[in-house]
Amino acid sequence: MSPVLDIRDLHLSFKGYGGLSEVLHGISLRIEQGQKVALVGESGSGKSVTARIVLGLLQETRTARIRGAVEFDGRDIGAMSARQRAALRGTEMSMIFQDPTSSLNPTFTIGRQFREVLGRRDPGIGRAASDARATQMLAEVSIPDPARVLAAYPFQLSGGMNQRVMIAMALANRPKLLLADEPGTALDVSVQAQTLHLMRELVDDHGTSVLFISHNLGVVREFADRLYVIYRGRIVEEGPAAAIFADPRHAYTRALMDAVPRITGGGLPDVPEVSEDFLAPLIRHEEDAA
Amino acid sequence: MSPVLRLLLRRLGISFVVLIGVSMLIFAIARIIPGDPARIALGPNATAEQVERIRAEMHLDEPIPVQYGFFLRDLARGDLGTSLYTNRPVTTDIAQFLPATLELVFLAGLIMVAVGLPLGILAARYRGRWPDHLVRVLSLLTVSAPSFVWAVILMLIFAYYLPFFPIAGRIKDIYEIERVTGFMTIDTALAGNWPAFWNAWHHLVLPAVALSLSGIGQAARLTRANMVETYEKPYIEMAQAYGFFPSRIARTYAFKPSIIPSLTIIGLDFAAMLGNAFLVEAVFAWPGLSRYGVAVILRKDLNAIMGTVLIIALTFLIVNIIVDLLIAFLNPRIRHSTRAAS
Repeated sequence: MSPVLDIRDLHLSFKGYGGLSEVLHGISLRIEQGQKVALVGESGSGKSVTARIVLGLLQETRTARIRGAVEFDGRDIGAMSARQRAALRGTEMSMIFQDPTSSLNPTFTIGRQFREVLGRRDPGIGRAASDARATQMLAEVSIPDPARVLAAYPFQLSGGMNQRVMIAMALANRPKLLLADEPGTALDVSVQAQTLHLMRELVDDHGTSVLFISHNLGVVREFADRLYVIYRGRIVEEGPAAAIFADPRHAYTRALMDAVPRITGGGLPDVPEVSEDFLAPLIRHEEDAA
Repeated sequence: MSPVLRLLLRRLGISFVVLIGVSMLIFAIARIIPGDPARIALGPNATAEQVERIRAEMHLDEPIPVQYGFFLRDLARGDLGTSLYTNRPVTTDIAQFLPATLELVFLAGLIMVAVGLPLGILAARYRGRWPDHLVRVLSLLTVSAPSFVWAVILMLIFAYYLPFFPIAGRIKDIYEIERVTGFMTIDTALAGNWPAFWNAWHHLVLPAVALSLSGIGQAARLTRANMVETYEKPYIEMAQAYGFFPSRIARTYAFKPSIIPSLTIIGLDFAAMLGNAFLVEAVFAWPGLSRYGVAVILRKDLNAIMGTVLIIALTFLIVNIIVDLLIAFLNPRIRHSTRAAS
């Protein structure tokens, strides 16, 4: 069976006033059926643009130059037309964003926005059918009073509630691939933990593959089977999550791990801004090392 | 009490206060500017007694606050006094001239919204590409010339060189239309006189387009600016990430949040057309309130000035209230706020 997502030697550069500037220097990444893969790195390392290439959004930007292969479910996204790429979005793949409240349109009810999402799979869906389906999905994310939530506007709900709504929407059309870009980073830590837990249960139930993007190794540890560490547009370390956590070999991975705050204290970790060691070549953990 | 009803009552209260303020201001200004209205009305050959008699009749010999008191007393009875220019009650004059102006302004406002907003949406949807540049150039062009210049240009091109439209007036003299509402397009339809109905529309097109052009430019620019900002919002990226059609994103997801801040200004633009109509009506010999207003100001016809200004102020306030209600309807934050929106 072909992997759900197979990125090989992906380069991305942006055309600016000073010529081309390369942001991704050839990254490769694979997600198998039902696998939860995390792409971890600091801000500006190229993780979010990777997700936007997979979604086919960056291809619409005129200044972006993309090279390399991105195959989704065996189909080459680079060879598709804009319309074909758009047809995959919201049906075969979907995305969860950082700040749930500002990612929902403030002028439409949750029910109406749900109907738009369900309409991607089933264009003729009526209001009653959509509400019934949405109610069922909201129950899956443990929302106690779905009818009230469907009639509400995003600003009337808490951030955690909106995050659950986002998860429900993202999974409503049973996508093969879920992209989660720093999900819930805008929420407080306990709510973030609850919703991530919920999301993991749901994707496990549905067998959805996930590309989880984060800067926080602590969060990733809870979630991912497999880990890619990205630094300045290059993958520096990859392997099964457990193997990397047990034995981080790349200098940058170790620095990232030190950067996770510890409840036992110790103050801010001493992470150098740039280091020669961070540019060391890719370290690949063997699958059986776990 | 529902928040919208509360909002409406509040706005009505504020409008009432504004109306009183405007009336005081105009009342004082009209009386302070030099020139004796009684003497202007009676002409150079009037005797001193005649002038005195008119002055006493109009209470012009009393102090201004007392005069204002008389004005309010009459206003409460629905009496705006007699025009020294037409020698008829001011209310009769306004009832005669206002519908023609409103007909013009309503159509111009409709054109402004029906053309300006889609142009703005189009520009924002293709921001940075040629439709955007085209709309920006066009709207700059329409805003940069005042409406009476457009009136002359349109008249020259579409009525004089290419005689598609009549040059002036509201309707051909040959049609005898019974006056019911004062709106020619409605009265002709009520009379069932279809040739006259089309003729009335035919006359209405050029002045309304001339009046609407700068509003179209304004509305397009405003809509574009607000929508371009909205396009940076996470919920638009979310809509794109769910593969919604770009045209659908533009028309609903980006447009609805963007129109809310634009509405107030579009409403003001609409009300300002009442002022711009002064000059367009002059160019097209349109028998409306604006022409009447100019005539009475030049003659220092105090009662008629007050009446005209009050009607215009009232229209501004009504448009503002309608806009506020529209915003409340479009913006769920206001509709659902538990406190009164301020």
